[in-house]
Amino acid sequence: MTAAVRRAGLGGLGLGLALPVVLVSIWEAAGRAGLVPQGILPAPSLVAEAWWAWAFADPGMGLNPYLGTWGETVLFSARRVFAGFACAILIGVPMGIMIGWNRLVAGAVDPLIQSLRPIPITAWLPFAIAVFGIRDAGAVFLIALGAFFPIVVNSTAGARDVPRNLIRAARMMGANERQLLLRVVLPAALPNIFTGMRLGLGIAWTAVIVAEIVAVKSGLGYVLWDAYYVGRMDVVIADMASIGIAGFLSDRVLVALSGRVLHWKQAVRA
Amino acid sequence: MTEAVAIRGLRKVFEGRAGAVEALAAIDMTLAEGEFACILGPSGCGKSTLLNVIAGFEAPTAGTAEVFGMPVSAPGPDRAVVFQEASLFPWLSVRDNVTFGPRMLGRPKDETEVLARRFLDLVGLAGFEHHLPDQLSGGMKQRVGIARCLILNPRVYLMDEPFGALDAQTRMQMQELLTHVWDEARGTVLFITHDIDEAIFLADTVYVMTARPGRMRSRIVIDLPRPRSIELLTDPRFNALRAEILRQIREEASKAMAAIAAEERARR
Repeated sequence: MTAAVRRAGLGGLGLGLALPVVLVSIWEAAGRAGLVPQGILPAPSLVAEAWWAWAFADPGMGLNPYLGTWGETVLFSARRVFAGFACAILIGVPMGIMIGWNRLVAGAVDPLIQSLRPIPITAWLPFAIAVFGIRDAGAVFLIALGAFFPIVVNSTAGARDVPRNLIRAARMMGANERQLLLRVVLPAALPNIFTGMRLGLGIAWTAVIVAEIVAVKSGLGYVLWDAYYVGRMDVVIADMASIGIAGFLSDRVLVALSGRVLHWKQAVRA
Repeated sequence: MTEAVAIRGLRKVFEGRAGAVEALAAIDMTLAEGEFACILGPSGCGKSTLLNVIAGFEAPTAGTAEVFGMPVSAPGPDRAVVFQEASLFPWLSVRDNVTFGPRMLGRPKDETEVLARRFLDLVGLAGFEHHLPDQLSGGMKQRVGIARCLILNPRVYLMDEPFGALDAQTRMQMQELLTHVWDEARGTVLFITHDIDEAIFLADTVYVMTARPGRMRSRIVIDLPRPRSIELLTDPRFNALRAEILRQIREEASKAMAAIAAEERARR
């Protein structure tokens, strides 16, 4: 990257910050001027205050759930996302590769996947609660299911679109079926697999909030709905922002990981 | 001399949506061990199909292909293939691309390292071991494609227009490189091309194919001395061979045009 391009990038960042800063300022001013009822839309300064207390205040007797509990709340959600997302990868990637690679497997499994895929993740909620109860397993199931579909579909595409001559080259060099799958089809499909994982991670965060609102009694989704019920809109907004940050950071981690694994793609751009 | 490759009554028909296309009509040919054979023919004459059958990538509709007496049934490291697009693994370094075959075959590691260095040297890629394929030019990629075949120590090399996508300058360099490599490594080669100069420059024998459906039209012995260098291109013997082959190719090309015209008329 040249210095000029970098400057343009920083300029772009400054420009991108301008609009949010303006909006937040208007919001703050409107709140102070009494134009917006603070019980419905508290000013940003009040949200920041509540967020600070939620994160760092002494919980005291533990009677106020919004004092010093932010960290554990985020961890509850993050752990569920991690567990569900890991299940989705462990099942979705091998299954997708087999569907993309083997016509027999595709014929047997793909129609089932394609017919389940249009069912929205929210429609699975009663089923998940009925089967797993009000427990972690229900939430993890929903997250895994939601993340599974984009992962399996993209892994399938990746395995199906491996250039024919790469397969032929591996075969003529003596690779057997197992080596072909692990050394050629899997690495060739990795760019698609990472695309599927990024989409799946986004759905995983959606699923964890929905599941926590309905099916479990902890985490960012639970606090979101609970705070709404007791009229703590400042905590609701802080919670929404927390979800956004968690989703953003986990996506960055995944992007950094894919950059490392797919270094051979980065090298071309450099 | 031993027959390295024996093709008998080979026929290949592709069943497509638009009906069946006969790519190869009835091919009979044998290559002696150590022979460098070039197959020359108009585009669409089925040259690549013939190579794919010998490689084991495609099954013949009728007839047989044998390599050192063994019928071909699947691809294998006894028949190394150099593809037109180098078809390297983009996620592996140059060295790992070259050692891919021996690693799949479980050959001893240290021996493989030594051989990889030797063959990368031979094709002029010393110092590029850690580059990725996408960081290389077309000619360099094809050198890797050749090195990964050499390391297999195959009984037959199958080359499918390996220099067809290169610019004229690089192509000439690669042809010189290949004769040089071949003088060193030897082996039986079946080389597909549509470039007459390339065929004469490289081959012991040139096989001219007919227009589709492909048959062998003639076998021309190239008795030019080796080692060969680029000066050969201006040798009168070279020009005589060139004129003869060109005449045959032209005949095939006009036959192909006539066939297309006849087909058009029949359709109307």
